[in-house]
Amino acid sequence: MDFTVTDAHDSTEIRLHGRMTFSDHDTFRSVIAAFERPAGHRMVFDLSGLDFVDSSGLGMFIIARDTAQKKKLDFAMRGARDEVQRLITLAKLHKVFTIDA
Amino acid sequence: MEFPTETPASLYGLELGIPLGDRRVLIADDSRFNRRTLARFLQWIGIVQVAFATNGQELLDQVESFDPDLLLIDANLPPIDGMALCRVLRGNPRWRDLPILMQSTRQTDQIRSLCFQAGATDLLAKPINPGECVARVRYHLERRSMVQELRAFRERVERDLRQARSMQLALVPDAEWLEAMASRNALRIEPVFQTSDEVGGDFWTTFEIDGGHVGVFVADLSGHGIASAINAFRLHTLLTRTPPDDLRDPARLLTQLNQRLADILTVGQFATAFYGVIDRHTDSLRYAAAGAPNPLLGSRGGFRVLDASGMLLGAFADAEYENRSTPFHPGDTLFLYSDGLTEARDRDDAMLGEEGLADLIEQAVLTAPEHPFPWLMARFAERFGAGLYDDLTALWIARDATS
Repeated sequence: MDFTVTDAHDSTEIRLHGRMTFSDHDTFRSVIAAFERPAGHRMVFDLSGLDFVDSSGLGMFIIARDTAQKKKLDFAMRGARDEVQRLITLAKLHKVFTIDA
Repeated sequence: MEFPTETPASLYGLELGIPLGDRRVLIADDSRFNRRTLARFLQWIGIVQVAFATNGQELLDQVESFDPDLLLIDANLPPIDGMALCRVLRGNPRWRDLPILMQSTRQTDQIRSLCFQAGATDLLAKPINPGECVARVRYHLERRSMVQELRAFRERVERDLRQARSMQLALVPDAEWLEAMASRNALRIEPVFQTSDEVGGDFWTTFEIDGGHVGVFVADLSGHGIASAINAFRLHTLLTRTPPDDLRDPARLLTQLNQRLADILTVGQFATAFYGVIDRHTDSLRYAAAGAPNPLLGSRGGFRVLDASGMLLGAFADAEYENRSTPFHPGDTLFLYSDGLTEARDRDDAMLGEEGLADLIEQAVLTAPEHPFPWLMARFAERFGAGLYDDLTALWIARDATS
């Protein structure tokens, strides 16, 4: 998995690309490092470039959401497609995550 | 500009803090003077266990009895020269990675290359430079220590993992008990449960709740390795402490397990799970699920996908679960599996996927109607190999046609 971070005034978009699996834990630590923002800041995961997540990947979404809550950041995901969307629906993550259209 | 010359090194190269007092060095040289000189050099770096050989045969005898960690050998040892001895030693697996330092007066590149070809680890020019000699001996001994340490560590970890795997394999129902229980309930339950080389978080079990009710629980703890295996054991413990009455209602069981797991798991850890209760009296399957791979239910009309969506077990303390029901008649089949089946990768890095699995099951039923499950798993092994990256659970549960 690769990622790019784009900062705007009061929000940060993180685009995730490729396959997000167990072996991406180290990369994901760098993603989480980008959550060092002031309270109220908005973090958005853009998943449109993501081809696949496994259950470890779902765990990483949960860690991201938890990190955002602890730092009082807004956290949302958007753009999931195909396998990624299927897995999010299967785990009913849309019930606990903010999903942007 | 001047750099501070702080020396982490000792006089003879980098000091790695590996004590060499227990290291044994064998010196093979026909000159008494050389043998004594070399032994004195070795003492400088704390090497006191030294043995000597004055000719080729003595060397071969000593190498057996003294079992050295390093060999200092003169290229012109009588009657066979050092290179020939090198080849003899390297031909024996026991001495294949013994450091052999060869001293030679002839220093052409061709001669040096021949020494390396013969199996020398390193070369020392004669007359010997004491500082260089000692630094090289220490380098090769330290390298050998580190390799041995790594190898020992690796062997220990592998032994631990093997033990963890066998413990994980012992979590699932005993084959004999399973067969007897299934036949008491007019079922046939064929399990495949394989752990990956690194152990993982798959786990399944089954309960005979009372006459006519059989519960089947399949879970996959997130992640890989020891951590997820330990979480599988925790889940197993929670399940064995569940009173039989609480096993009747799938949604209620998952709700309880979720709360307990949420208390003990760290953020980002969870289980996907499926729990179903087969009821022979009402010919139905009542189940609840927590984001498990969608099971397949086979009846006379073919196989269809059951919805196993649901909140991940242990991820959110307030998650709720719902019961779903579907007819499950005599002769019907329930196929449960973990993502190790659908997410396995073949040589072309392609996954089987849910659709691929559905196709494969259809073929299995057509091609091998008597034994579709073994046929299915054989085709799977052909394509995906036997060494698994993830754990794999697959359960083929069929109701007897005549019950």
